[in-house]
Amino acid sequence: MTKIGLEIHCQLTNLNSKLFCSCKANYREFEINENICPICMGLPGSLPRLNQEAVKKATMIAMALNCSTPEKIAFFRKNYFYPDLPKNFQITQLNIYGDTSIGGTGSIMVGDKKINITRIQLEEDPGRLIYEGSSSKNQITLVDYNRAGTPLVEIVTEPDFESPKQVREFLNILSDLLENLGVSDPSLEGAMRADANVSIEGGKKVEVKNIGSFHDLEKATHFEITRQTSLHSRDIDIIQETRHWDDKRKITISSRSKEEELDYRYFLEGDIPWITIDSSIQEKLRTEMPESISSKKERYISKYNIPPQVADVLSSDKFYSDLFDESHDETNAKEIANIITTDLMGLVDTREKREESKLSAKHLAELSNAIQSGKISRNSSKNALHEIIKSGKELSEIISELDLGNVSDESELLKIITEVISAEPQAVEQAKSNPQTINYLVGKVMQKTKGKADPKLTLDLLKKQIE
Amino acid sequence: MVTEEEIERVSKLMKIDVDDHKEYVDKVHAMIDYFDILDSAGVESEEISMPEIPISQLREDKHVPFDQKLIEKLNNYKGSYVRAPKMS
Amino acid sequence: MTNLKISALDYVEQIQNGNISAEDFVSETVDRIKKVDDTLHAFLSVNDDVIEQARAIDKKIKSGDKVGACYGMPISIKDNMCIKGSKTTCASKMLENFVAPYDATVITKLKQQDAVFIGKVNMDEFAMGLTTEFSAYGPSKNPWNTDCIPGGSSGGSAVSVSAFECVTSLGSDTGGSVRNPASFCGVVGYKPTYGLISRYGLISYANSIEQIGPLTRTVKDSAFMLNMICGLDSNDNTTVDNNSEDYLSGIDSGIEGKKIGIIKEMIADGTDPAVLSSTKDAISKLESLGAICEEISIDMVKYSVAAYYTITATEAGSNLARYDNLRYGYDFPVEGYEFNSYIAKARKNFGPEVTRRMIIGGFVPSAGHAGKYFLKAMKVKSKLTKEVNEAFKKFDLLIAPTVPILPFKLGEKIDDPVSLFLVDINTVTANLTGKPAISVPFAISNGLPIGMQLFANSMNDKLLLQAAHALENTVKLPEVPI
Repeated sequence: MTKIGLEIHCQLTNLNSKLFCSCKANYREFEINENICPICMGLPGSLPRLNQEAVKKATMIAMALNCSTPEKIAFFRKNYFYPDLPKNFQITQLNIYGDTSIGGTGSIMVGDKKINITRIQLEEDPGRLIYEGSSSKNQITLVDYNRAGTPLVEIVTEPDFESPKQVREFLNILSDLLENLGVSDPSLEGAMRADANVSIEGGKKVEVKNIGSFHDLEKATHFEITRQTSLHSRDIDIIQETRHWDDKRKITISSRSKEEELDYRYFLEGDIPWITIDSSIQEKLRTEMPESISSKKERYISKYNIPPQVADVLSSDKFYSDLFDESHDETNAKEIANIITTDLMGLVDTREKREESKLSAKHLAELSNAIQSGKISRNSSKNALHEIIKSGKELSEIISELDLGNVSDESELLKIITEVISAEPQAVEQAKSNPQTINYLVGKVMQKTKGKADPKLTLDLLKKQIE
Repeated sequence: MVTEEEIERVSKLMKIDVDDHKEYVDKVHAMIDYFDILDSAGVESEEISMPEIPISQLREDKHVPFDQKLIEKLNNYKGSYVRAPKMS
Repeated sequence: MTNLKISALDYVEQIQNGNISAEDFVSETVDRIKKVDDTLHAFLSVNDDVIEQARAIDKKIKSGDKVGACYGMPISIKDNMCIKGSKTTCASKMLENFVAPYDATVITKLKQQDAVFIGKVNMDEFAMGLTTEFSAYGPSKNPWNTDCIPGGSSGGSAVSVSAFECVTSLGSDTGGSVRNPASFCGVVGYKPTYGLISRYGLISYANSIEQIGPLTRTVKDSAFMLNMICGLDSNDNTTVDNNSEDYLSGIDSGIEGKKIGIIKEMIADGTDPAVLSSTKDAISKLESLGAICEEISIDMVKYSVAAYYTITATEAGSNLARYDNLRYGYDFPVEGYEFNSYIAKARKNFGPEVTRRMIIGGFVPSAGHAGKYFLKAMKVKSKLTKEVNEAFKKFDLLIAPTVPILPFKLGEKIDDPVSLFLVDINTVTANLTGKPAISVPFAISNGLPIGMQLFANSMNDKLLLQAAHALENTVKLPEVPI
C-alpha cells in the first residue's frame, strides 16, 4: 500500500511584519537585501521580538485543522550551518517538554478519507540562495536575506495519503482554508512549499525535499511512486534516503549522502519566554475566526436554497464568497449566486484580473435587482458586468451609455411583435395549437431587439396578439 | 569517553578547523569528565521550566523598516548580495 | 587637579555645585588612561571625541538646558555591548572589524542621560573566562598587583573603575563575570535579577542566564546605575517590569532584623583561609548591625558548576554559530572555497578557550549525549532554583564570599581549565537561578582585595542594595596602589 506523509510550509503572507522583527513579511516587493535589519540578519547583540499576530494567526490555523492548541507554547533552536540562515540556527517549535508547539494532533476530512495532523509549528523562513558561476572553479553563492524571518507555519501530517490524487484534494482544501482564514495568499510564488515522504508496499520510506509549489507536490509524489514501483518490479531494493525535487526536470534526485550526519542539537530558545495563550484568549480567537468554508456552504444551501454544487464553488473561494455575502439579501441571493458562478468567474479568472476588477458588492446587488425587476435582460447583464469590472461605473450609467436597457415600451415592442407575426405565419399557427412553442416567437423578438426585449412583457403581448 | 575521533566529529559539527586534535583532547576530556558529577545529582524526576509571559505582552504586527541601508554596512557584493562560497 | 577618585554620586553633586566641569574631568580621565593603561591594559579602544562631548554637556549645564542625570560622567563599556558606529570586538579576532549599526538599549538609555562613553574595555574573548587572559588582544592586569589577573570576564571594566580610568563601568555577568573581577579588583560588582536590564545589544554568550551589570566604586553608585539602565524593553522579550522602582531611595535603611543565610557549600574545603576569616568577620559585622545570621545548606550548589558549564557551552555553541564571516567579520575572501571548509577555516580565528567551549557545546547537547549532560544540567538548574527559592522562604538574604580564593598570578591557571572551574563555584548559582547578587569589597589580604557576596530573591534588588550598602559601611579599605 502506498503511504504518503506531508510537511507543508505555509508563509503567513498577510501579516505586516516578520516573525521576530519589524521588516515586511511580504518581501517580494523589495530590491535585493533591502528588507533586512539587525534582527533578521542575526547581527551580534540582536534579539528576537516575537510577533503577536503571527502567534494568533498560527493558532487559528491549528483550530481550523481541528488540532489541539496548548495554553503554553515554547520555541526551540534548530542548529545547522547554511548561508541562508543568518544566525546559523532556526527558531522553530518542538514537543520535547510536553505539547508546546502551536498546534497538536488534529485531523481533516478529504472526501471520505480522514487525514491526521501530527503537529503544527511556527518558525522562521530562511533567506534565498542564488548560484552563480558556470565552472566549478569560479562558482560562488549569492544570498538575498529579504525572506529571512518571514513567518512560516509548518503543518506535519501522518502518512495517511494513499495516492497523489488524495494529496491534491487535500492541498486544494488546505489552500482554500488558509485563504478563507485570511492568513495567507497561496497563489504567491513560494508561499506554499512542501516536503513529502513516500513509501510503497515492501519498500523503505523516501523523503522528497524542496518541492516549491502545491502543483509540483502532486507531480513529485506521482513521480516517486512510479520510480519506486518500477524498482520494486525489478526486485531492486528501495533504500531509505532523502531526495530532492528538481523543478526544472520534474524528477526527484538522490541527495548525495552527507559526509557528516546532521545533529540539530535542539534546545530551548532562551530569548523567548514561554508564551501563555489562556483559554479565554483562545475562545476570543475562535470567535474572531472567519466562518469556515463548510459552514458557509451549509448556510448558502439551507438559507437560500442554492444548489449544493453552486454553494460548493461559491463558498470555497474567499473572493467570491466575500462578494456574495456583502451583496446579497433574502430576495436576490439566488440571482447573485447565479451571476457569480455563471458569469463573473469566467471574467475574473486570474489573480491579476481580480486585483484590477472595479466590481463592488453594491454593483452586484444593483445588477441582480435590475435583472429581477426586468430593467435589464439576463443576456445584457453579462455585457454590463464586463463593463463594470472594467470601469467601475454605476450600473445605470452603463445601461444608458451602452444602450443595454430592456425594450419595455409597449408600443415599440408591439411594432416588432407585429412584424414577427407577419413574417412567421406557420409558427403562429403552431403556437395557437401548442402554447409551448410560443417560445420560438419570443426568441425571434429577442433576436430583433438584440436581447433587450423585456421577456415577460414580450410573452404577454405575444399571447394577446395571437389570440 | 572523549576520543580524538569524537573531538574531530564535534569540531566538524561545530565547523571549526582544529589543527591539533590531541592538544584539545586532554583539556576537553578533563572538562567533560568533570561533568560526570551530574550523574550523582539525583535530578531525573525534575521538570525543565522557563519564564512565561502572556501573549498580550508580545509586540504588535507593524512594519517598521530599519533606519539605515543595512546591506551597505555589511560585506556585500556590488551593494546588493551577500557572497558565500560555493555549496558542495 | 580634579579628583578622579570620587564616586558617581559625588561626581553628579560636584558638577551640579559647579565645583568641577565635565570637560576637565573627562580630559583628565583621558590623561589618566594614557598614564596607566599601558601597564593595566583595561581599554581596547578609547573614544577620540569624548572631550568635545563633555564640552557640549558643560555648555548645556551653563545655559540652563535640561541635562541628563549622568552630567557627562565618563563610563567605560565592556566590548560586548553595541555602540552605534563603534567597533565592538568581544575581544575576538573574529569581530576585529565589526562596527555595530545600532545602540544597545543600555547605551541608548545612558546617552539620554548624558553619559560619556570613554572607551570599550577588555574582556575574555566572548566573555568566556574569569581572568581576562583569554582576550585576543592581551590580558589586563590587576591594579593592586600587576603580576596578578584582574578576574574576568569583565576584567577591563573592573580595572578601569579600580584604577580611576572612569567613574563607573558596565560589564556582563554570565557566571560571575561582573562580581568576580569586582572582587579581585576591590570594586562593587552587581548582577541584577534576570530580566531587570535589557540585553538588547549585548552580544550573547549564554543568553538564558546572563545579565548586564554595573561595576562601581560604591553600592550607591550601583543603585544609581541601575536606575539609569533598568526597565521593560520591547526589544528584549525576557525583560520584566519593575514599576519604575527607585533603587537609591531608602538605601540607608539598614538591615536590622533581616535574616541572612550563610551558604555552607560556598565556604567549603578549598576556600582560602583569608577568605574564610573575612567571611566570618562580615557575618559578625552584619550581626552587629542587627541581622540574624544562620548557616544553610543548598545541596545543588555542588553540581552547579558542572551544570553551568554544560548549559553555557551549549548556548555558546549556538550563539556563536553566526560568526561564519559571510555577512561581517574580517577580511578573508570566499572564492575558491567550498562552504563547509570556508567557514571552518574562517572560524579558526576563535581563540583556544572559545574553541574548547565550542567543542564542548557541540558535544553535551548532541543526539547521543544530551541525556547524560545537557538535560541533566537543565534539571540541576531547576532543582537548584527550587532549593534557593526554599531558602528565601526562611531568609531575606544569603551570603558567601564572591570567590573562594585570592587573585592569582597571570598564567598560573591558564592551562588547567578544571581548577579554573572551581573559582566559579560561588557565583554561578545567581545566574542559574536568575537571582540578584552583589560583590562588595570587604577586606585586603596580602595586598589583594577580597569581595563579599550577598544574594536576594528575584526582584528584591532594592533590599539587596540596602544590605550591601550596610555591609560596605562597616569597612574602610586602603586605596589602590597604582
